[in-house]
Amino acid sequence: MLWLAAGLVVAAASGAAASSHRLTGQSAPDFALKATSGTNFRLSEYRGEVVLLTFWGSRCGQCPAQLSAVSRLVDTYGAAGLAALAVNVDDDQLAAAEFAVAHPVSFPVLLDPDKAVAKAYRVDNLPMLLLIDRAGIVRHVHRDHRSGDDKAWLARIRQLLDE
Amino acid sequence: MPRRAVIAAGLLLALGLLPTHAAEPEKLSLTRVQDLHYGDVLFTTFVGNDFEALTRLESYTQWKLMPHHQGEAALLAGGLYLQLGMHNEAGRRFESLLTADVPASVKSRAWFYLARVWYARGYHDRALQALSRIEGALEPAEAAERVHLQANALMHLERHDEAITLLGGWKSSSSWLQYARFNLGVALVRSDRLADGARWLDAVGSIQTADEELLALKDKANLALGFAWLQAGQAESAMPMLMRVRLNGPQSSRALLGLGWALAATGRNEEALSPWLELHDRNLLDAAVQEAYLAVPYAFAQLGAHGQAAEYYEAALESFATERGNIDTAIARIREGSLMRQLVGAEDAVSPQRGWFWQLTELPDAPESRYLYPILAGHDFQEGLKNYRDLAYLGSTLSRWDENMAVYGDMIDTRETAYGERIPRVDGLLSSDALAATEASRKQVEGRFNDIVNLQDVAALGTPEQRAQWQRVLQIEAGLAAAPDDEGTAAAREKLELVKGVLYWDLHQAFRERLYQQRRALRELDKALTEANTRWLRVQQARATAPVTTGDYADRIDTLTQRLATLRTRLGAAAEAQQNLLADIAVHELEAQRQRLADYEIQARFSLAAIYDRAAEAPAGQGGP
Amino acid sequence: MKRITSLGLPLLAALACMAGSVLAADAAGADAPPDTRALDEEIQAIKKDVVDLNRDLFILEEELLFPANTQVAVFLSMDVGDFFALDTVELRVDDKQVAKHLYTPREAEALLKGGVQRLYLGNLRVGEHELVALFTGKGPQGQDYSRGAQVRFEKSVGAKYLELKISDRQSRRQPEFVIRDWE
Repeated sequence: MLWLAAGLVVAAASGAAASSHRLTGQSAPDFALKATSGTNFRLSEYRGEVVLLTFWGSRCGQCPAQLSAVSRLVDTYGAAGLAALAVNVDDDQLAAAEFAVAHPVSFPVLLDPDKAVAKAYRVDNLPMLLLIDRAGIVRHVHRDHRSGDDKAWLARIRQLLDE
Repeated sequence: MPRRAVIAAGLLLALGLLPTHAAEPEKLSLTRVQDLHYGDVLFTTFVGNDFEALTRLESYTQWKLMPHHQGEAALLAGGLYLQLGMHNEAGRRFESLLTADVPASVKSRAWFYLARVWYARGYHDRALQALSRIEGALEPAEAAERVHLQANALMHLERHDEAITLLGGWKSSSSWLQYARFNLGVALVRSDRLADGARWLDAVGSIQTADEELLALKDKANLALGFAWLQAGQAESAMPMLMRVRLNGPQSSRALLGLGWALAATGRNEEALSPWLELHDRNLLDAAVQEAYLAVPYAFAQLGAHGQAAEYYEAALESFATERGNIDTAIARIREGSLMRQLVGAEDAVSPQRGWFWQLTELPDAPESRYLYPILAGHDFQEGLKNYRDLAYLGSTLSRWDENMAVYGDMIDTRETAYGERIPRVDGLLSSDALAATEASRKQVEGRFNDIVNLQDVAALGTPEQRAQWQRVLQIEAGLAAAPDDEGTAAAREKLELVKGVLYWDLHQAFRERLYQQRRALRELDKALTEANTRWLRVQQARATAPVTTGDYADRIDTLTQRLATLRTRLGAAAEAQQNLLADIAVHELEAQRQRLADYEIQARFSLAAIYDRAAEAPAGQGGP
Repeated sequence: MKRITSLGLPLLAALACMAGSVLAADAAGADAPPDTRALDEEIQAIKKDVVDLNRDLFILEEELLFPANTQVAVFLSMDVGDFFALDTVELRVDDKQVAKHLYTPREAEALLKGGVQRLYLGNLRVGEHELVALFTGKGPQGQDYSRGAQVRFEKSVGAKYLELKISDRQSRRQPEFVIRDWE
């Protein structure tokens, strides 16, 4: 079962760059951040949905591609309960806001200039994507983004949406 | 999640627990929250954290933190239990709560919501009981739904005539009416009152609407009526009904099938081919299409085109066999629990027993498991799925507690050590007379001080030497007083007078100052004593509220840890059972589909065999395989 | 589903089956579907036990971490007539930040509906303390708004509750902090 499985030590799956992370199997730490739109968003309000939480910076080369991939997934599976939140860790919020305007996505882009949330999530790489299940548990963590990664995520996402 | 919040708000509004917005363009009236903690529970509910809200509500109730809201809190608890799917508990709460103290409208609404949940869960009799407890009027929308609910429950319990009576006299303009008419029509037909039922179904089948939901209902009504006529052998009446069903709607396949039958039944086999051939091109997973695979060759055979009939039968056999094979595989996989792995192709070793219930309709690229589509939308399945998800959520909540328990255990150990040192000391101090003794001393000192003031006993405040001297002077004075009155004595007395005077003068001069000092000292002593007293009380109180032994906390932690473990096991077992049940539902449906295909195969074989026989008997040149 | 037994019967027999399913409408359908009730009852019982356990754990946690002697709780409520979108609230006790909360639309709405948020729960020693509170938000015309308030309070033995109310009763359209001591 879910909680038993979380307690089990599970080897990282083969395939795309799913890596081990201290938070895997743990509750995703709750937080609230302001989005580029000015509205505040809180992670725990998404309980019941599967959440793609991604950390990115405007100077990270792979990030734009990842954000687009996530956006496509949300467009397709949004109705089935998939949501996404992108957390920007730039010191310069202006750069983040400009980027958001230049690359519109179909989910909130949040600003974490203090990097408090990034720290809570032990972000050690950009981009870093976490898959959070409907009960709020971190199930998978992906670092980096190569083309075709979203196909690998798809399998896991559908599994999580099933629950 | 958002839907739940809406329901919660609706429930609270219904229960009269939300502030009503005044019609006047004034500010919102102040809510009636008189206990902060009750407000906290409301906040948590409004934000949508039902489970957390209930936890806090129960905890604050136990701590008696909401004295001004006892009735409301209990009602809210009932509502939250309802929200969380614990309708037995909700029912218990509502029953004990709905006394005369609560307004009738609140009572009625509570029963209404309860009835709704029980109906959805399949407890039709309990739903009816709850509905019967409603007194007075509901809001119009709720009143309409209430009638609809009652009628449905009656029909589920096969009490058709009561349903007929209920619905027959109901006038309403809401869409609930259409649903009710449909159900009534169906109920009448099933009670062999076709003519009556037809009237109602026809009414629904002829509504003018653009609403998608109502259009779907209209299709269902026409379909049901068409088939009812067909079954009664009145094909002519059936045809116009079936032709009303939308060609691109969800009921179109069955309507086409029925239309073909109506035509065939009146001997118009060639015309019957038209809808059936249309069906033949559609997806074989549809039961109507499967039947069309047999209906088409049947028509050909009726028309004498046995060659074509045979071809179609053979094609049907092939398709059915393939399809049956697919279903067999799906059944096997579900039983194995590995359909999931197949679906997503992941080698993730995290629990193979995952849910495979999938909102297929939401996806553009549905996998082969669309066999399951009919049951996924089904009520039993959806309820079961909800249970499964609830259990998963609860499980993760308990997991979090598990982590905390270890921490608390450590805290207790640390405290135990600290308490172990301090408590005996504190107890020793508290049980000693220290404070009382000090107070007694103070009283004494004050008494003495007052005496000095009253008697103006200047000597008392002198330095030790002065007091000693004074004593000496008094002694000598006394001695001289007793001595005979001669010159020597007189001289001595004079001298003494002098010394005494000087001494007295010194003492007197200093008296006021010293008095003032003494007073101040006394006051400071008072202050210190008051503080000591307060602190004493605080220590007493703290000591009283500290656990009798920290062993008390340790015991609680132990007990709770055990309960956690037991509950998690039960949760796991229930989730497993729920999964199996869902699998059973799916397999049951799949087996039904499989059986139907098998029956059709047999039918096709017989028909094909008959054609071959016929060809064999026929003189050469006629017909043929 | 009925078995089609012979060629003689036209497929109208199958029709009866189809009609049956069509006319089943909402009713509980096919022969002997799996019984869900027993499991449903068990699941309800388990859920209730979880609620009870959760309550007991909550009680233990708060009694352990925030015993009444030292407990201080600060609550936030709103009483504003005109539209005011709350954005953030910050709390400082004795010059140390103890809470900073960003409000989502859902949370702001919950406050407007009359909910009271338990913003801060902590421990303080007996004696005098200072609380400073700041809130920011947007007014009816979208203008940025920022206000603060300060209070000194005495912590004695027994839990201490303070309520911060964002209110515009004093001066219309001008939300202010009103601090109330509940003990």
